Amino acid sequence: MSNHDIKNEEKFMGQNAWFSLFMGVTLLIISVYPLLTQTSAPLLFFGTAAFLGSFCMFVIRGGFTWKMKYHLTYKDEYLNTIDTIAYKHVVLGLLFSMGGVYLFSDDLALEVSHTMMASFYLAVMCLIYGVSILWQSKD
Amino acid sequence: MQNNIAKFRKEAGLSQQELADAISVSRKTISTVETNRFTPSVIIALKIAANFNMPVESLFILDEAD
Repeated sequence: MSNHDIKNEEKFMGQNAWFSLFMGVTLLIISVYPLLTQTSAPLLFFGTAAFLGSFCMFVIRGGFTWKMKYHLTYKDEYLNTIDTIAYKHVVLGLLFSMGGVYLFSDDLALEVSHTMMASFYLAVMCLIYGVSILWQSKD
Repeated sequence: MQNNIAKFRKEAGLSQQELADAISVSRKTISTVETNRFTPSVIIALKIAANFNMPVESLFILDEAD
C-alpha cells in the first residue's frame, strides 16, 4: 500500500467525520423543528438542500479518489480499528436512544411521526460516529 | 506493553511522519503506538523493527499484566 493511499485514507476519514457531524446536526434540526412549529414542509426542503450541498462539498472537494467509496474497510490498521470502534459506539448510542424513546414515547406519540423518529435515530448515529472518530483521532 | 519506539526514532533523527512513510502506515498509527494507546499487529511491529535494524524484543517490552 503506497503512502499516497494512506494519506488519502487519513484525509477521507477526517472528511467523513466532519460530514457525519454536519449531517447529524442537520438531521437533529429536521427531527426536532416540526415539534416546535407543527409543520415540516420547509424543513424537508431545507434538509434536502443541506444534504445535497454538504455531500457535494465533502465528496467533490474532499480530494480523495472515487474508488474509496467501494471499500468498506480502511487498509491502514489504526484507521480501520478506530472506524470499527466508532461503529460500536454508534450501536451503543442507538441502543440507549431507542431505550430512551421506549421509556418516554407515550408522552410524545401524538406529535411525533415515524419520519421524525427515523431522522432522530439517523442524527444520533451520525453524531456519535463523527464525535467518536474525532475523539479517537486526537494525538 | 511498553515500547521504545519514540526513543529509537528520535535517535535516528526521524519524525513520526517519516517513520510512518518508511513503513507505509499512517502517522496516527506511529503516534498512538508510541503512547501505548494502540497495540500494533505483528506485521507493523516487524516493519518497525526492520526499519531500525533491531529485533522486535528490543522495541517492545511485555508488562507483568500482559
